[in-house]
Amino acid sequence: MPNRETLDVDVLIVGGGPAGMSAALRLAQLQQEKGGEPLAIAVLEKAREVGAHMLSGAVLDPSTLRRLVPDFAAKGAPLASKVHQDRVYFLTRSSKLRFPITPPPLQNHGNYIISLNRFVKWLGGLVEAAGVDIFTGFSAVEVLYDGDRVIGVRTGDRGIGKHGEKRSTFEAGVDIHAKVTILTDGVRGNLTKAVVRRLALDAGKLPQLYAIGIKELWEIPSGRLPVGTVIHTMGYPLRMEEFGGAFIYAMPDGLTSVGFVTGLDYRDPMFDPHITFQHFKRHPFVASLLQGAQMVRYGAKALPEGGWHTVPRTYADGMLIAGDAAGFMNSMRLKGIHLAMRTGMLAAESAFEAVRANDVSSARLKSYADAIDASEVRRELYPVRNVHQSFSHGLLAGVAYSGLSLITGGWWHRDPMPAHAGYRRIAKLDAYYDGRRPDSDAPVRPAKIDRQLTFDRLTNVHYSGTRHPEDQPSHLIVHDADVCRTRCRSEYGNPCTRFCPANVYEMVDAGDGTKKLQINASNCVHCKTCDIMDPYQLIDWVPPEGGGGPQYEGM
Amino acid sequence: MIVVIGEQRGGKLNRATWEAVAAAQSLGDTVKVIVLGGGADAAAREIAAAEVTEVAVVDAPALADYTADGYVAALASLIEQQAPSLVVFPHTYQTRDFVPALATRLGRALVTDVTAINRAEGRTVYSRPVFQGKLSAEVEALGPTPHLVTLQIGAFRADAAKRGASAASVTAATVSVDAGAVRQKPEAPFQEARQAVDLSQAERIVAVGRGIKGQEHLKIAEDLAKALGAELAASRPICDAGWLPMDRQIGSSGQTVAPKLYVALGISGAIQHLVGMKGSRTIVAINKDPEAPIFEIADYGIAGDLFEIVPALIAELNK
Repeated sequence: MPNRETLDVDVLIVGGGPAGMSAALRLAQLQQEKGGEPLAIAVLEKAREVGAHMLSGAVLDPSTLRRLVPDFAAKGAPLASKVHQDRVYFLTRSSKLRFPITPPPLQNHGNYIISLNRFVKWLGGLVEAAGVDIFTGFSAVEVLYDGDRVIGVRTGDRGIGKHGEKRSTFEAGVDIHAKVTILTDGVRGNLTKAVVRRLALDAGKLPQLYAIGIKELWEIPSGRLPVGTVIHTMGYPLRMEEFGGAFIYAMPDGLTSVGFVTGLDYRDPMFDPHITFQHFKRHPFVASLLQGAQMVRYGAKALPEGGWHTVPRTYADGMLIAGDAAGFMNSMRLKGIHLAMRTGMLAAESAFEAVRANDVSSARLKSYADAIDASEVRRELYPVRNVHQSFSHGLLAGVAYSGLSLITGGWWHRDPMPAHAGYRRIAKLDAYYDGRRPDSDAPVRPAKIDRQLTFDRLTNVHYSGTRHPEDQPSHLIVHDADVCRTRCRSEYGNPCTRFCPANVYEMVDAGDGTKKLQINASNCVHCKTCDIMDPYQLIDWVPPEGGGGPQYEGM
Repeated sequence: MIVVIGEQRGGKLNRATWEAVAAAQSLGDTVKVIVLGGGADAAAREIAAAEVTEVAVVDAPALADYTADGYVAALASLIEQQAPSLVVFPHTYQTRDFVPALATRLGRALVTDVTAINRAEGRTVYSRPVFQGKLSAEVEALGPTPHLVTLQIGAFRADAAKRGASAASVTAATVSVDAGAVRQKPEAPFQEARQAVDLSQAERIVAVGRGIKGQEHLKIAEDLAKALGAELAASRPICDAGWLPMDRQIGSSGQTVAPKLYVALGISGAIQHLVGMKGSRTIVAINKDPEAPIFEIADYGIAGDLFEIVPALIAELNK
């Protein structure tokens, strides 16, 4: 047993994103309002600095911000631009059709284009100014229990070598004990995943449905796109059977977010989100916007798209779950930051009361779930509860149902509308290609890479600023790599080499004429897609040594 | 007068000191070198061959082993004494450790990792990489002089340093460092189990990439390296596969080098590799794929089969 240090706090927040930071700030506010013995509060964040792992489109609905920081303008909130114009297009291979009216869920009047990374950095500043400690560069690797009661988390060891040996820099992780642990570890959070499984918090819920978003930040000649323009597209290069679309957001000084979101519930095992994004940029409409411009940053992240029916039970003894970790995202409005912030605030309120009452039981913390039910979070999510599921029947069915749901409040004759987890929908090569299987080591729809407009994965990874110390064990754990070279190779053609946007998974020559899996773990941008989409569910994403990962700036 | 802070360990001069002297000389002012620490005498005599006015050696018990506190205390009082117009450091790990504290102590501007210096009309403009080397920013230092500047390794050519007609005088500078001010306690220098290769000191490098196909083919790269008197290095996949040790890896997760000659065999030129070697003076690339990005930065490129070309090169070199 290594000699572990322990730290005792009242409330521990795991994950310094919008949910975690809002929870921390709300706790500090409550303390100030109500006085009394001050609570010890800590925030753990695996990134080297606050906000460095934050990535989103992003368009912010400021409703929660107004509630949390009413004087946000005076406090210098980094809101890049008000949204001045919405445009929605349907793309065909070479042209575009503009929607005559912007569908109501995509109307962004009153919203702001932001960089989530800058926004969270700013929130983090408020949190620290309020006296809360943010421990950056610390990953949480394990939930600590007393029976079924959550009593805190263990942070990751440092200084473990590639083969698991202790290096001279070894430092054992710390056990942080808390009366209430608020998990805000984001989409497919490693702790939330473990807790949900152990306590069966997803019993009776639909499986979460995910998407992967790939984003680049571009500097385009200013004036080419008016500041505050928000463009969304559907259609090409996706086919009717695939869910997703693109976004283009114009910020001041020509800075432009360009991204593509694809549902991680596609059937074609040869589908490649990265190449799809390159095809999108080569579409004449997009290529003309980006011509002669420069890509300056890149990143990728999964999104929880499943909605209300996929949210697990959000409370247990000594624990609450908020934000993307629980799946609070509105896939119809393409928004979740305000919901992450709101659920973070509500979690803070329940945690505060529970700690003060010296009762952190599940029965007491249920007040959090009740508060969500009584709040605008449910009012916003419940009517669109079946929307993403309806897209599993194709684009037309999805659009038709989404339109209908605006009138019916989301009614469907089977409610919840059933859906399978994405990894179960991906088809086998022989079935999908009807026996005429393609060469799984080459793209079916290759895109020309010119390193101006389009990029290969490795070049993109460079622009994410991703770094991990090399001498550490792989943080992508493949529980049976034999499956990769045998079953998966013949059944699915190793789809990990395609759905991973960062070239982490590679099939390389084994030297005997066969191929074997090579994991380039230090490329990982922490998007979690592999953990989500692996058809055999053999991949576990665990946090690397604290501080590793992307270094997003302005994303 | 410009002061260059040299670096040495156990009397062995760090080659980057020559680069810093070359950069300082190019600014058209007199140059003085200061070398600190135990055994600095030997290193001082080596750098005294350069065309400089003086080499000052600072040796005090508190400086015998490197500590950030000791160096900051000694250099702060020396720089205040001498009042140079500029202080130049090589951007080594050791410099990175103490120079921010020194700049703070002196209340002077610090420009780090500088790759070029332009002086015109009384203004000095420094170039330094941003976005991991993708872009280069031009900055000017404000506030009272002397400003502190650290130079990227390999950005200035050590062999461009002008040598003096005779050796410069080596003098001992006295500076009192209060042992109580040193809060760090140095331990014995950390030794890697194996002697690590310092590729940044190599003048010629032969690097291999995926195009070498198998570990058994490394021999021809080794032979070429031998014929050229070069060190053998590799891109990431080769070290990942364990065909060469990790300390031979060039690139963003390995070493950054700037030799006189860099021969890239079967390296496609992913940006992660390019950032580690693009400062090389002459780059020769041999690759099957004429579209490979390595050719965009190569001075000489051969699109062809390295298994035919390399043996021919070796045969020609051995003639």
